[in-house]
Amino acid sequence: MTQILIQGLLLSGLYALIAMGFMLIFSIGRTLNLAYGAYLMVGGYVYFWLSQQLGLPKIVGIGGAVLVGVLMGLLKHRLIVKTLKGDHVAVEISTLILAVVLQAGVVLVFGDSSKILLPIVPGVVTVAGAQVTYNILVATIISWVVILALYAFVRGTHTGRAMQAVSMDPKGAAISGIDPDRINLITWGISGALGALGGVFFASYTQLYPSMWVAPLIISVAVVIVGGIGSILGTLIVAHIVGFLEVIIVSVWAPELRGVFTMLLIIGVLVMRPQGLFGREETH
Amino acid sequence: MNLRAHHVLLWGLFIAGLMVMPELVSKGTLRTMIFACYLAIFAISWDVLSGRTGYISFGHPFLIGIGAYTTAILSKRFDVPVEISIPLAVVVTMIAGLIVLLPALRIKGSYFALVTLAFMELMYQLVQVIRPDLTGGTRGMSGLQTLTRGALNGYYLAASLMSVLAIIAWLLMRTRVGTALWAIGMNEESVRGSGLSTTRLKAFAFLVSAAIAGLGGAFYVHYLGSIAPRALFDINFLFTIIVAVLIGGAGTIIGPIIGAFFMVFLLEWLRPWLPGAERYFVYGLIALLLYMFQPKGIMAILAGLWVRLKRVTS
Amino acid sequence: MTYTKGLAVGLMTSLLASTAFAEDIKVGFIGSLSSDTGLSTLRGAEIAIEELNAAGGILGQQITMVSADTGEDVTEGVKAYEYLAETEEVDFIISGSIDDVSLGWLPRMQEFQIPTLDTWTSYIGIIDMVAEDPELMAPYFMNIASDEALATLYINFGADVLKAKMGFDSVVIVAEDTAFGQAITGLVTEALAPVAGIEVKDTIIYDIGTVDFAPIFSKAQSSGADFIYQVSSVNSQVISSQYVKLQVPMAMTGVNVSALGMEYWEDTGGAGGGISTLSPIPSVGFPLDPVSQGFVDTYQAKYTSRPVLPHFNGFNAYHGLKQAMAAAEEAGGFDDVKAWNAAMLKQDLRLEKDGKLWLRYGFWQHGEIEEVTQRTYPQNARFDLTAPYDDAQPSMVVVQWKEDGTVGVVYPFEYASTEFELPSWVK
Repeated sequence: MTQILIQGLLLSGLYALIAMGFMLIFSIGRTLNLAYGAYLMVGGYVYFWLSQQLGLPKIVGIGGAVLVGVLMGLLKHRLIVKTLKGDHVAVEISTLILAVVLQAGVVLVFGDSSKILLPIVPGVVTVAGAQVTYNILVATIISWVVILALYAFVRGTHTGRAMQAVSMDPKGAAISGIDPDRINLITWGISGALGALGGVFFASYTQLYPSMWVAPLIISVAVVIVGGIGSILGTLIVAHIVGFLEVIIVSVWAPELRGVFTMLLIIGVLVMRPQGLFGREETH
Repeated sequence: MNLRAHHVLLWGLFIAGLMVMPELVSKGTLRTMIFACYLAIFAISWDVLSGRTGYISFGHPFLIGIGAYTTAILSKRFDVPVEISIPLAVVVTMIAGLIVLLPALRIKGSYFALVTLAFMELMYQLVQVIRPDLTGGTRGMSGLQTLTRGALNGYYLAASLMSVLAIIAWLLMRTRVGTALWAIGMNEESVRGSGLSTTRLKAFAFLVSAAIAGLGGAFYVHYLGSIAPRALFDINFLFTIIVAVLIGGAGTIIGPIIGAFFMVFLLEWLRPWLPGAERYFVYGLIALLLYMFQPKGIMAILAGLWVRLKRVTS
Repeated sequence: MTYTKGLAVGLMTSLLASTAFAEDIKVGFIGSLSSDTGLSTLRGAEIAIEELNAAGGILGQQITMVSADTGEDVTEGVKAYEYLAETEEVDFIISGSIDDVSLGWLPRMQEFQIPTLDTWTSYIGIIDMVAEDPELMAPYFMNIASDEALATLYINFGADVLKAKMGFDSVVIVAEDTAFGQAITGLVTEALAPVAGIEVKDTIIYDIGTVDFAPIFSKAQSSGADFIYQVSSVNSQVISSQYVKLQVPMAMTGVNVSALGMEYWEDTGGAGGGISTLSPIPSVGFPLDPVSQGFVDTYQAKYTSRPVLPHFNGFNAYHGLKQAMAAAEEAGGFDDVKAWNAAMLKQDLRLEKDGKLWLRYGFWQHGEIEEVTQRTYPQNARFDLTAPYDDAQPSMVVVQWKEDGTVGVVYPFEYASTEFELPSWVK
């Protein structure tokens, strides 16, 4: 029981970190950034290249990954979202193409064999019969810190409140003097940073692999769909629902049905309650 | 219906062009064209639903896969003749289409896209764990009955199937129902306001789309002679279908066909120059740039050129 | 202008080249050009062709090769086979495809009837197709021991090492939810208790997309078994690296496809120490006979990029391609598939090391029953399931990666270069 609790908390923390950046973009622009998984992939590979292949300090690796993530976010906003003038379908499709291109790019540069990242924080401790690596413990703590900081930012700063305003009513926000373009740019940058950071931890727990962008994308989709858009705390709670569901299915029932239940959860929630458990009703 | 003489002429030319193709090109090229024809069928199926109504389906591999698996399992495991298993596959796929319709009654836009993505992913997971003795599990099945032998026969079958489906879809879209589906994509509220049942219209679009997907999937699997979950319920397969439609030009029937041929031939023509992984990179990049240049597709580019040409000549 | 000119000249030369060598024997490679697996087969075949050409070619003709990339995608595999058959019109195809890709293009092989040698795929279902319809499958040969034979070796390893040396009495099987996982799990479960005397306490099937294996390892530990038997081919790095990272206090061995190449250590950054796996032969850490060593020397002088050491299928391609050509020489070419098939079945290369039969590249004949498994393996690589392996090499060996990054064969003892040991964190 304690074991499930510990493992559930850790996995959920990781999932929350992964999903946060995806939720931000979806919430502010109503666009699905299907290349979001590619942020995680690129972040992971940049970290691998800097810290494991070049042998630079880990913090440089993380910094480099986050930097590249921000750049990707900004570039994507400038080159794709702005060019397509916010046409949702067009943005979604072009991000999907971009993800496939990036996957092919990774195969070109790093080959298609999977690679394992060394733990960012090495070490392991046994708690109540469950092995816990410091690595995932740190990922969970960082995830909580980032989420709380994000919450404070959105609630407490001018830019953050502007983000919220744009998310709820872009036209109204524009009338009240907010530049939605600037806010969008900032959001895409933050989303890229969060994606890359999440990618470093996700990869350090699983593996680097050219098609690794699909799995975190599906996780993000699940969390955001079940939670509904626009709610940071909702995302946190739902990451725990998804994470715990998974750990419970694996521990006490049938591990091979792990993926099946996550998908059933998405479909079920969407059909029963389209706005998600914590989302607000869309007016348009 | 509004059918004019030049329509008949153009379709006639199109079909005649397809039928003389074997005289002009090599067998190897014919093989590539067969894949292009099947992709065109899937693209048409996607276009009937998503190209018009605005309900973007990320789950088309789900429908195609159900059609393909139904006939594969029936013919391989239960020795059902293909004359029966293929129609059954279409029926089963249409039922699956109704399942996808359920969420569409309540949600739209990106949410709908996501739930259909979940359907595809769910199917991929299920094939592995539920009755692998029937589905062949992750390895899939090989040695399925094929309908034709040789590039030539395979081509004639695929090209005919594509032409028939394209013309049916085209005729359908020129009826009032087709116009109403367009209107749903533009503004669903106003369609409802004008007294039409959007539910029935949507159900119609889903059923037609599913029927085409199921038929295409069934013939496709009996052309390949093998089936594997990784080849069907896969985001790369989804990518190819959607990109074929959009690069060709959504909502135009002929656009998705052009897009499908473009995508398949692009990848194949790159092979001698870029034999390795560079091929997929360049292929994706060209698709991205082309799409960014004109999200309305090759049809819109051609139309633009046509207008300019007219202006120059006059 | 110069560009167009260059293009024209290039086109001309390529046209000339293709007409000048129209009489050549053309070999097609099908497989992934960006994976270690695919490259092993490709390079093994390239070296064999170079050596054959240097010795005057086959039937008085030189051999050329074209490749068709599958990207490990099933549909691309079908296209690649069609490309080789109808655009390039090759005489013979050598494949480094993975299981579902091979199954994907098999109907095409049956249609075109082009002699084809599979060097990586080990799916017994394909051998069963050969047994059922020998005529249709006449062009097909598989020169890696099929996975039916894999389980037997593992059972012996269980009895001789795990039970006799380590004193393990019970096992928990942790297997992926793939067709491969199910097949191996079935075979192992059936025989472990009756033959090796090891009780199967529990079988845990996991989803290949699993992110976190901690709950699965907890479940395995609570089963009370002495060790874990792992069956993983897809994403197998994830489970093995988490085993090491989590320092699961329980021995683990089994099948881990990612640990088959020399790059395993580099790819895992060392988070792979202690992992042991069954491997086809010749594996990493496998002592080589002089002929195969000569191949490796040529390989390493020629290629500097990964894989630094060809995987087992590279050896299969090298020896197998030469055998296919020898068979063609006897059959007067590749066109008469029946004659080629008969000549190929007769191929038998016996490689010795220190006066003992070390590796044998031969094939099981039709109707020939293997004693231990009591079944036939027509057109499949010949193997020997019982010590002292005087008919052929064993179907597999067990290799182990030590925590210092070295790797060696631990079983069968006749081929061992090191001893099986538990990871340092397992008490």
